[in-house]
Amino acid sequence: MIISFIEIIVGLAAGLAVGSGFVAFLTVLGIIPRLMQLSKTKSYLRFYEWAIILGAWAGVFFSFNDFLIPTPYLIEIYIGLLHGIFVGMLAAALTEVLNVFPILTRRLRMEKYLYAFVLAIVLGKISGSLFQWIIFVNK
Amino acid sequence: MSHYHQKMIMLTIFYVFTISQLFSHYLHRKEWNVHNNIILLKGMMEMNQTIYLRLKNRVEVNLHEKICLKDIAWVDAGETIKKQLHSLFLLEIQKKHQRYIVIDIFHVTKKINHLYPELEIETVGPNQAILQLSKKRSSIQPIFILFIWTLLFIGAAMAIMNFHYDVSMQEVQESLHIMLSGSEENRSVLWLQIPYSLGLGVGMIIFFNHVFNKRLNEEPSPLEVEMFNYEQNLQQYLAFHENDLNRPTSDN
Repeated sequence: MIISFIEIIVGLAAGLAVGSGFVAFLTVLGIIPRLMQLSKTKSYLRFYEWAIILGAWAGVFFSFNDFLIPTPYLIEIYIGLLHGIFVGMLAAALTEVLNVFPILTRRLRMEKYLYAFVLAIVLGKISGSLFQWIIFVNK
Repeated sequence: MSHYHQKMIMLTIFYVFTISQLFSHYLHRKEWNVHNNIILLKGMMEMNQTIYLRLKNRVEVNLHEKICLKDIAWVDAGETIKKQLHSLFLLEIQKKHQRYIVIDIFHVTKKINHLYPELEIETVGPNQAILQLSKKRSSIQPIFILFIWTLLFIGAAMAIMNFHYDVSMQEVQESLHIMLSGSEENRSVLWLQIPYSLGLGVGMIIFFNHVFNKRLNEEPSPLEVEMFNYEQNLQQYLAFHENDLNRPTSDN
């Protein structure tokens, strides 16, 4: 009885830590503000916050259970695409927070090749990921 | 002829000119010329005029170039004073100068006060002008650019592969795929993974707001803002550290 109670407390505390870490990570990278700026939908901030919270809950729910929900191909493609876009935005935001590009181009004095280098990184990530899933992984 | 006589003769000529302009105002509506002439008259009659000085933030200079005031500042004053101030000599770029030279507004106002003590100087804008000496740089070989490009390409590919391994994305995507495909056994997990890989690139491009130098949105991309911030920080640092007024000295 006491053990169950302790388990509940520990679980809740762990969830709090992970959740706040997750949200802090997203906040410092500025993904939601950037998306709101691009889509010019600043008034829907609460909407987007709840999207993240419900999404995290759904992820927890589906990862701890064994469901089988047959979905059409298109839904699967859509989920994969959105997953990729989100991870891509995380990667881009990290690159920006670490000031990689300004320092790189200034040190090497190649400011006019900046967009070629951005393209190199983007294409590198796409090909690396494709290579890993199609060729590299031992099925 | 004394200075006073010279001034009176010039004033008379200007009066005559202005009156003729007034006539042409009624004939041809040249209001702006009259306006300017009246201001010129006023300027010549008072010697205690105010001039406005605004330093340019960053100027590119070359070796052995003689820097005058018009190279590093915008000056707003009466016509004659402006011409004289524009040709005010400040310094010459010598070999001993490093890449960045900082001219403080203090030196400029000191020189102007020394030569024209009756002028009132109002300064607007940045307090230092940074002169960037463009040294001859060796042309970058294309092979070096190719090397950097492939370095970034392979580096990003390896980084993303290691990231996937680190977060065990393979397992997560496989279990998600099993959940989504349900009863169909021969649906490959690639249906999830290939759109994911393409989405990686799309996500980065959305964030950077740039596809092949074409903007997706009129707003400046975070990359441009980042480079601008870096430049501003650099200029602030230089304006402080390269400024000889900020060096510790034994005398005042």
